[in-house]
Amino acid sequence: MYRVGIDVGGTFTDLAAVDARGRVVIAKSASTPRDPSEGLIEGLRLLAAELGTDLRGLLAATTSIVHGTTVATNALLERKGAKVGLLTTEGHRDVIEMREGLKDDRYNLRMPPPVPLVPRARRLGVRERMRFDGTVMARLDAKSLAAAVGRLAKDGVEAVAVCYLHSYRNARHEVETERLVAKRLPDAYVSLSSEVLPQIKEYERVWTTVVNAYVGPGLARYLASLATRLRAAGYRGDVLIMQSHGGVAPMKESARLAAGAVLSGPAGGVAAGRYSARLLGEGNLITFDMGGTSTDIALLQRGEPQLTGEKTVGVAKVALPALDIHTLGAGGGSIAWVDPGRILHVGPESAGADPGPAGYAKGGMRATVTDANLVLGYLDPANFLGGRIGLDAKAAERAVAQVAKQLGTSLREAALGISRVVNTNMAEGIKIVSVRRGVDPRKFALVAFGGAAGLHVTEVARLLEIRRVVVPSVAAVLSAWGMLATDLRYELVRSHVSEVSRMTPAALRRLFAELEEEGRRRLGAFEGPVSVHRSLDMRYGEQIFEIQVPLDGVDLEAASLLDEVADRFHRRHEELYAYSAPGQEVVIVNARVAVVGALPVLPAEGQAAAGRAAAGPGRRRVWLGDWVEVPVWKLDALAAGHEVKGPAIFESATTTVLAREGERVTVTRHGWLDIRIA
Amino acid sequence: MLSLWYHRVMLDPITVSVLTHRFEAIVQEMGEAMLRTAYSQILNSSRDFSTAICDGQARLVAQAEHVPIHVGAIPWAVESVRDAFAGRVRPGDVFLLNDPYHGNNHLPDLTAFVPVFVDDEVAFWSINRAHQSDIGGSTHGAYNPGATEIWQEGLRITPLKLYDAGALRDDVLKMITTNVRHPHDFMGDLRAMIGSAKVGERRLRALLDEYGTKTVVGAVDEILDGAEKQARACVRTWKDGVYRGETILDDDGHGFTDIWIRATVTKKGDALTVDLSDSHRQVHGFINSSFPNTMSAVHMAFAYLIDPRTPKNSGTFRPVKTILKEGTIVWPFAPAPVTLATNHCAQDIAEAIIKALAPACPERSIAGWGRRFRIAIKGVNPRTGRSFIWHLFHARPGGGATAAGDGWETAGEGQAAGGIKFGSVEVAEVRFPLTFEHHEFRADSGGDGMHRGGVGAVLRLRMDTEEPAVANTAGDGIRHAPYGLLGGKDGLPHRYRLLSRGRPPRALKTKEVGIVVRPGDVFFVESSGGGGYGPPSKRARAARAADVGNGVVTKRGAR
Repeated sequence: MYRVGIDVGGTFTDLAAVDARGRVVIAKSASTPRDPSEGLIEGLRLLAAELGTDLRGLLAATTSIVHGTTVATNALLERKGAKVGLLTTEGHRDVIEMREGLKDDRYNLRMPPPVPLVPRARRLGVRERMRFDGTVMARLDAKSLAAAVGRLAKDGVEAVAVCYLHSYRNARHEVETERLVAKRLPDAYVSLSSEVLPQIKEYERVWTTVVNAYVGPGLARYLASLATRLRAAGYRGDVLIMQSHGGVAPMKESARLAAGAVLSGPAGGVAAGRYSARLLGEGNLITFDMGGTSTDIALLQRGEPQLTGEKTVGVAKVALPALDIHTLGAGGGSIAWVDPGRILHVGPESAGADPGPAGYAKGGMRATVTDANLVLGYLDPANFLGGRIGLDAKAAERAVAQVAKQLGTSLREAALGISRVVNTNMAEGIKIVSVRRGVDPRKFALVAFGGAAGLHVTEVARLLEIRRVVVPSVAAVLSAWGMLATDLRYELVRSHVSEVSRMTPAALRRLFAELEEEGRRRLGAFEGPVSVHRSLDMRYGEQIFEIQVPLDGVDLEAASLLDEVADRFHRRHEELYAYSAPGQEVVIVNARVAVVGALPVLPAEGQAAAGRAAAGPGRRRVWLGDWVEVPVWKLDALAAGHEVKGPAIFESATTTVLAREGERVTVTRHGWLDIRIA
Repeated sequence: MLSLWYHRVMLDPITVSVLTHRFEAIVQEMGEAMLRTAYSQILNSSRDFSTAICDGQARLVAQAEHVPIHVGAIPWAVESVRDAFAGRVRPGDVFLLNDPYHGNNHLPDLTAFVPVFVDDEVAFWSINRAHQSDIGGSTHGAYNPGATEIWQEGLRITPLKLYDAGALRDDVLKMITTNVRHPHDFMGDLRAMIGSAKVGERRLRALLDEYGTKTVVGAVDEILDGAEKQARACVRTWKDGVYRGETILDDDGHGFTDIWIRATVTKKGDALTVDLSDSHRQVHGFINSSFPNTMSAVHMAFAYLIDPRTPKNSGTFRPVKTILKEGTIVWPFAPAPVTLATNHCAQDIAEAIIKALAPACPERSIAGWGRRFRIAIKGVNPRTGRSFIWHLFHARPGGGATAAGDGWETAGEGQAAGGIKFGSVEVAEVRFPLTFEHHEFRADSGGDGMHRGGVGAVLRLRMDTEEPAVANTAGDGIRHAPYGLLGGKDGLPHRYRLLSRGRPPRALKTKEVGIVVRPGDVFFVESSGGGGYGPPSKRARAARAADVGNGVVTKRGAR
């Protein structure tokens, strides 16, 4: 019997199948963006062939499929989502476009305002009002509702988002609204704020509800199409969709809470990080996923990533719990430019894939990070991406020479400069992200994913005083693989604003019990072990930001429950902000429960690098302040336990790694590079 | 003294570039620490604070992008502290300052300074400036429209040591906290400010250790020169000439009306001279602008006009020479009150300059933004029996249009330019006895033009109190509207009213104290829209149709 992980990316669909003994087989197919289920099925066919069977044979022997998808993400980023109508409390329809009064890029006043996801003409007020405590101030007015829904029907909306003030305390009006919408617009996708995110703060809630409505219909269509194809091929098992929070959810649930999948893709990367932590026996990791336009960073502590409720995707704010992945605007395609004050900058503008770096010779004229790496000899023009793309070193030199001229320095110095600036920016970015999360990056190891990471990661580590860097050998497939190691997960939240001193232990227990019951209901007939994690979002009286305080290990039945809760808060505050103020009023804002159904643990079999014989290295000249001839190792052919001292280059079909002077590289039993920095 | 700067070292451009990015990251990290630790709403939600690094010569090296009107004002504050304690600055010291006649901008913006030493010399200052929710004085919330002297505006803190070589002077702290209304919040915020400045100190120390003092200090010259070059390169592209611009404030609340700011700007080559001497003489009320605040307003106008990617440091502003006359509203004699000046007349100073330069660089110019008009309400919350103070940040006015496009709807005032956040309505209703009956865009408030001014907002705010509350107002712009530019129309001015059952609506003025607010009263707030840019005849038909379809322009307004 197999379990199959499938990660659909922009270019490739990666698949990994694991059998009961832990044997792993992988496959890769071309992605089909128009309907990703086509490429997915093709990938399954290739996977079946690897296993010596056919599609039917594989699917008949498969118990579950875990799937990471970018359908929701792309709909949002490319603004190709559904035509949405928004119903709000009368007099409050502009919350989403008022942006809380904020505008990005403070000094840039010549900047056109963003186009809202739902234009004002389709944002309609409905007469109704709840008070702050959930009591009714004005009853839902049937006429006003009918008029608004009638107008949305006339506009031909595909989805309706409903977000009334204080509905996190009393959802009655939203539920009544849903009933009427279902009657008048039976085909519309309906998204209620009280279901999507029953949490105080209307700006975050209305955005999340709107995003859900915007990406929901498209995701639902895709999943339905996928289900049909799989059924036609004889599949009877589960399909679990990777969620932004790093857990998985069944198809039906995922289609309903579509906003929960907007970061499904990057979550696969973090799943890979989580899996790496397990394989390496190293719990504190920072994943460093450097691609063409950006670099994704995530922190894992004790092997587990953190969650956040403050994600921005494109123009949209999504306040659902999501893996705390931070995106830095620096990648291999980031463009280097010199300001008129002769200061060198790299990014955030990127040459992307088209035209790409100057060295791609596809019309790009401006120097990028990749061009600098070519000029320095770090990349082999003849062997980039396994030789699939030939690089033009001369074109890269011409572009970097422009930068050198503007800086008044030599070609190599300029290239080294580009590398140093981008490394500095990434290191500073990681530092700020860690500080914001109250951790010291020096206690972490960096794990490098993504094609561009290997040339920068050790330098970034050095700037951060990080001593250990790990480069897995097949990072892309690792996401698909890591997905198999994730659990069923339901994240529930409810706002209940109260000072701790005014709360009773019984009320808190009841709140948690209700959320847990809801979570277990959604988990359904799951037969494996279930764990429940409770936490509270809390703050001091006058603060605005809450912090999430995990309550794992707290005895809910204890008489001193509330003292313990307050104590946990003070300690967490101290961890994050270096001070706490015991004796001050503490306020509970949201209660959270995560109900987790643990899937069978993935056996940790490596790719058996043991037994390989290391072929002798080739040699190449690289610029390290001067031309130095260094050995070039084939990453896929290294034997476990093999040790190499920097400077040295390691190459594979997907990445190139540079170990510098003072760095010691050991090949792990999985064929990964474990780099120690002196 | 200053031996660190005696020899200018030659540095390679790469090292300078890397250090530039490091300095920027440090002020950002200081801001991050502040944002997360501050206590009061005005700081952690509205982000009314700045973090900065100055060098030992009090030159601004880097500043985090928070409040534009703080830009460029900090060097005067550093000079003031440095001069007051010449020879007595020691490692472990922390200084405080808020007095606008001693280098600060206005009293609510308390500034904390931490020196960073190399041997026995101050190489850098790590600085946090943050707006306090209260700083004493005769009204709560710092803004006192009744003030005719600065003592009525709050506690004046001249340069002082709060920590002396690492030891807290708790007698001094006690004196300060005794003179503010919410000592507990004040302490929370002060702790966050000092924490943030200490983060800067630690990071600067690490930078000095890593690169060596000579390199780091030497890079400052290069960074400042680089910014100067960049600014000059932009100015050079503008048309030479002598230009005049004028903006007018409604009143000072004490008898002066139609108070003008006049800027004569001479642009020649890559330099500007801004002469504000013709501005109105100083007035009784709190719209006078302290010297550092006026300099900041001039710098803000300049920063808005040049390429926004230009770093903001002391080098950036070298191309601008400013001429002021003492005794005018832009440089008053003590003890004139000045608290409102970071809003008004700062925005009006900046806009007089921007307006003046419109013919020189029309593609860079900016139509008028809405002005600040705040309300502070003090009452008793019947749900808790405790007193509360609430500041109006909602119903933000619209932004001005530019050559690039329409103005931003409800983006706030020109001196903050979308930098001040209003909090959640739901959270406000949970915490305060208030109901937000209506809070939406104000149709027809944006000035017409090729590009339309951003609209303001309408707010109906009901008081759910059970006993009378008291409100103060502070602001401007009920008579003079945000200006249209190059053929664009003006936006609508503010209109604020207090509706009280059984009484005629009361039009609120922008500088009132002691407004009685009865239980059930409603504040009916209509805020300004921004000015339009370019002739209305050039507005695209599709844009007009969208405006009407979205109801930001009504059919009546479209005629």
